[in-house]
Amino acid sequence: MIDRVRFVLQETWESLLRNATMQAAAISTACIALILLGGAGMALYKLDAAAQALPSHFEAEVFLKMSATREQALQLQAALQARPEIASVRLTPREVAWEEQKQKLAADVNLADIPNPLPDKLTVRVRDPQQLPAVAERIQQSPLVDEVIDSRAELQTVLSLSRLVRWVGLGAGGLLLLASLILIYNTVRLTIFSRQREVRVMALVGATLRSIRLPFVLEGMTQGLVGGALAATLTLLAAAFLSDYMTSQWAFLRDLPPGMPPSAVLIGLPALGALMGGLCAWWATLRYVRI
Amino acid sequence: MAVELKQVSVAYGEQGALRRVSLRVERGEFVFVVGATGAGKSTLFKLLYGELRPTEGEVWVLGAPVHALKPRELPFLRRQMGIVPQDYPLLPRKTVWENIAYGLRAIGYNESAVRQRVAQVLALVGLNEQARQLPSQLSGGEAQRAAIARAIANNPPLLIADEPTANLDPDTSWEIIELLMRINLRGATVIVSTHNRTIVDRACQRVVAMDRGQILSDVPRGGYPIELDRLYASVLL
Repeated sequence: MIDRVRFVLQETWESLLRNATMQAAAISTACIALILLGGAGMALYKLDAAAQALPSHFEAEVFLKMSATREQALQLQAALQARPEIASVRLTPREVAWEEQKQKLAADVNLADIPNPLPDKLTVRVRDPQQLPAVAERIQQSPLVDEVIDSRAELQTVLSLSRLVRWVGLGAGGLLLLASLILIYNTVRLTIFSRQREVRVMALVGATLRSIRLPFVLEGMTQGLVGGALAATLTLLAAAFLSDYMTSQWAFLRDLPPGMPPSAVLIGLPALGALMGGLCAWWATLRYVRI
Repeated sequence: MAVELKQVSVAYGEQGALRRVSLRVERGEFVFVVGATGAGKSTLFKLLYGELRPTEGEVWVLGAPVHALKPRELPFLRRQMGIVPQDYPLLPRKTVWENIAYGLRAIGYNESAVRQRVAQVLALVGLNEQARQLPSQLSGGEAQRAAIARAIANNPPLLIADEPTANLDPDTSWEIIELLMRINLRGATVIVSTHNRTIVDRACQRVVAMDRGQILSDVPRGGYPIELDRLYASVLL
């Protein structure tokens, strides 16, 4: 059995050494296709996680009318706090908000003489993020409330972005994957032609079709595997770099949930590459290896 | 019965490569198949090892119906046949030893059995000294002996050699035929195609003469009828 495995592996190795340029082309195309697919997959995973997590990060901000008194604001806060679906209600008095605003803009403008334009604000956090839209809707109906801002708009943005990444990433990745499959098929086909003598000798001495085809299938699998491994490494490096850069630019991104685990990329892309490469090579041997 | 063809025809397009050929070869026989290029010798041989399917008729080899075998069954029959094809005799990048070992390893022999069998057949064909040489370093006769060694490495009961003396000088051709007759004396059925009149005369074995896809005559061992002389005049060199 060990001798058999060694023979098949030797044959595979010799196949790989023939047509080095074609092998490099097949591996690099598979690599690029899998980088696109892997990158799209990772981005989608992150966006999906972000979409799931957004409602808990974004509470509803309730801006009261300027005519509402502090007493009315406290009454509304108490009334909302009493509701079972609401976890907490925090009142930010207009004078506190204005002070904060003035300090924040002190370097640019002098707001000392301007009358406070800000209303009182209640920050409402719900127990179940799914209930946020309904709660926001209900609060909006109160005569004391001027405006309610919740995270629905942000959620929509993330979902649109997710759709864009899905179509562009999967579309381009899919097309390149198809190209790499054709290239692997063609490389294996050329190897079969270049090893026609070996194929014929094996056929004449009575080697089974399966054992003649196996080294070529392993060759295709190796091309996919190497392409996938390169793609996984490059994708993870690019993701780490991009992640560092983006979080340094936009601090709020630090609050997003973690992305796809690196082990999934390190295993998934080479496995996908090997599977696709093996299938392509098998297809080529079905057509070109006969006894 | 080693080989039996029953009313076998093979058609390539409209042209008939073989036309209603019937032939029986007993186990242990040595048979020359003679005829000019295009007579149908290679087609007949390809039928025997299943590389071609008959358009009609039946092909039986070592008790197996080759005409009806599925592709996955064919390799197991070929392991009982030594085949020396006219094309692709040896792998150019492998030494003589590796060429012979390659065939054995391809059908699952382990390393120690390979070493043992390769040594035996190299001794039998007289190529011990050339074992580590590449095919490009061999003479025509040595290369042909190496191809025969690979074909018999598995100790098959049937050996089929398609034009093993092509492009060889008369002395070397006779060495090859002597080797094949030695293999025959060890019990294997041997079928050899050739268009070399000298070695056929000298070997005094059964001669099946073909022309344009048909068997013209079938002369038993030791016989030398008038028809063979006429045949030589028309189809042999």
